[in-house]
Amino acid sequence: MFFLLNTVYFPKRVKEKKIMTQFFQQLINGLSIGSVYALMAVGYSLVYSIMNFSNFAHGGVIMFGAYFGFFFLTFLKFPFPLAFISAAICSAILALIIERVAYKPLRERRAPFLYFIISAMGASIFMENLVIAIPAIGPTFRTYPEIFNKQPIKIGELAMGKLDIAMFLISAICLIILIYIIDHTKIGKAIQATSYNLKASALMGVNTDFILITVFLMGGFLAGIAGVLFGMKYTVYPQIGIITNKSFIAAVFGGLGSLPGAVIGSVLLGIIETFTAGYLSSQYRDLIAFVLLITVLVVRPMGLMGKVTEDKA
Amino acid sequence: MKKKVLALLMVCLMAVTAGLAGCSSPQTAAPAESAAPAGEKILVGWMGSLTGDQAVWGQCELNTVKMLFEEINAKGGVLGKQLEVIGYDTKGDPQEAVNVAKRLTTQDKVCAILGPNASGNAIPIAPVLEEAKVPDIATVATNPKVTVLDGKVKPYNFRVCFIDPYQGAVAAGYAADVLKAKTAAVLYDVGDDYSQGLTEFFEQFFVKKGGTIVAKEGFKTGDVDFRPQLSKIKAANPEVIFMPYFFKEVALSSNQARELGINAILMGGDGWPSEQLISMAKDAVEGSFFVNHLDYDDPEVQDFKTRYKAKYDKDVELNGYLVHDAVLMFVDALTKAGEANGEKIAQALETTDIKGITGRIKISKDTHNPEGKDAAILKIVDGKYVFQQKFAAE
Repeated sequence: MFFLLNTVYFPKRVKEKKIMTQFFQQLINGLSIGSVYALMAVGYSLVYSIMNFSNFAHGGVIMFGAYFGFFFLTFLKFPFPLAFISAAICSAILALIIERVAYKPLRERRAPFLYFIISAMGASIFMENLVIAIPAIGPTFRTYPEIFNKQPIKIGELAMGKLDIAMFLISAICLIILIYIIDHTKIGKAIQATSYNLKASALMGVNTDFILITVFLMGGFLAGIAGVLFGMKYTVYPQIGIITNKSFIAAVFGGLGSLPGAVIGSVLLGIIETFTAGYLSSQYRDLIAFVLLITVLVVRPMGLMGKVTEDKA
Repeated sequence: MKKKVLALLMVCLMAVTAGLAGCSSPQTAAPAESAAPAGEKILVGWMGSLTGDQAVWGQCELNTVKMLFEEINAKGGVLGKQLEVIGYDTKGDPQEAVNVAKRLTTQDKVCAILGPNASGNAIPIAPVLEEAKVPDIATVATNPKVTVLDGKVKPYNFRVCFIDPYQGAVAAGYAADVLKAKTAAVLYDVGDDYSQGLTEFFEQFFVKKGGTIVAKEGFKTGDVDFRPQLSKIKAANPEVIFMPYFFKEVALSSNQARELGINAILMGGDGWPSEQLISMAKDAVEGSFFVNHLDYDDPEVQDFKTRYKAKYDKDVELNGYLVHDAVLMFVDALTKAGEANGEKIAQALETTDIKGITGRIKISKDTHNPEGKDAAILKIVDGKYVFQQKFAAE
């Protein structure tokens, strides 16, 4: 598509061409950042849709996913696809463990949702500090071995990193599979039913505990993939969780609880951020991101595509 | 019941890890059971990053101080007393640096402090030092404001490195005079004193040399994606891109620059050199230049390099060399002062004129900076730092 658009504007004037190149280059940058946000954001939305609270421990799982991938690649010398899958599986298990330890006891006691959020934050801080405290991992950042070389693929003046293309494709494939599972399989229907009303679907014979396990496993799996991709692009360090705040904003922006919303919110946020940094100034980038969040919450609390609920936390 | 016990255990574990990582736990060099009376020891403070992005440097500094103190103590110490270092983690956070300085001066009652390495942490501790009358020797804090504020020298702040104007000017001079560059772009960290200082003086000197700054783009500490800014720089098509920040961001931004197809020569300051830079961005920084405090192959530094390697089985980072000279400065001043008194040591530091491994250190009374220190220009060739020449900016 970029091809076509580029040729439309192509020969006229050099200056105009330069401006268009700049525009499309920034668009590509934005899409590539947005696709990683999307992978992280759907994890937030998945859990929110079922349990109605923001699972802040998700950032911790992403960080661990990045470390798992690093460990499999560097120490166990797994080939890349195997390391990738292994890291995702380990992250899925970790997400499940967090559910069992931090949320299940609260759920059984029918604790208020605020408790879940506090528990999630606790788990997130715990994981970050755990990584720092383990001497073998420690606070310094780690670098993934080079899997894609840095020679960009060029289309005219536009340059795209191989890693960025891979990230975009992997994110897209994962999201398509996820949305397919939710929309077209039995378990997906059960998840939808549970998200609509947990108690009623339990009465109708849906094994809600099993659904919760599935949701956390899926969220964790995606977190693992996001972590590895993020680690490959930006190195691994204990504070990765801070970046995931952005994907949380994206999830709220798109509508917490809605998967297409999370994806669209993420891509939009990625593009808005890049354009702010590229055309205004990078100092305004976070300012605009957060103003956007507040505006959305004030004007349209359910987000761009979210369902209407009373409780947003 | 069993579940309650488990939950309780988890909470305890959380609390312990949070405590471990959250508080700045003292890292004393001497064994805890030492029974020597307090008067037999001279306590020296150290502060720097033991966690966070710059942990590699902080750990190297503390290791170096410990090693040197052990060596000095083995030879009978200074003034007949043993030296002991008390090191705290600043986490690279200015607020934490102030807390650490307070703790060192009021609780531990040290006679002098070594570090911190970052300007942003060295600047805010001045009032604490003045109140306690304890001198501090910063290691790689190159911002002018570390020792001089509003034209007045801070009485208890000293440093062992040269200052930012000098680095920025050296980089600009080298780009214009030796690399014959006419256009340059700057990417810098808007939230960091160090980065801003270097940028300001690079710009000033590059323009003075007849060059043009075609793009100047900022980012914020903690950012990992620089492509929007780099795409803008690419459109301006500079011959040189000046990147005055630390190696992690240097690695990420240079990788991203190459991915965008930018072929300009990259230049930087003393925030660059690190083993990690090469492992992260070997191809991207190939052929780049940076200003440094010393030449790693200088015969003067070889002895220290081998001693450190033998003890810790790691390579010395840049900070190790500078804290080495900070220790020399301190020991020299302590000997001249004749007692472990902060005020007297500060007076003695003002007359420092010693030969360190990073060059001659002659402290100016008016600025508390070492004067006339040569800068080294290094080029990255095949993943190695290759010394080009000593360069002084006029």
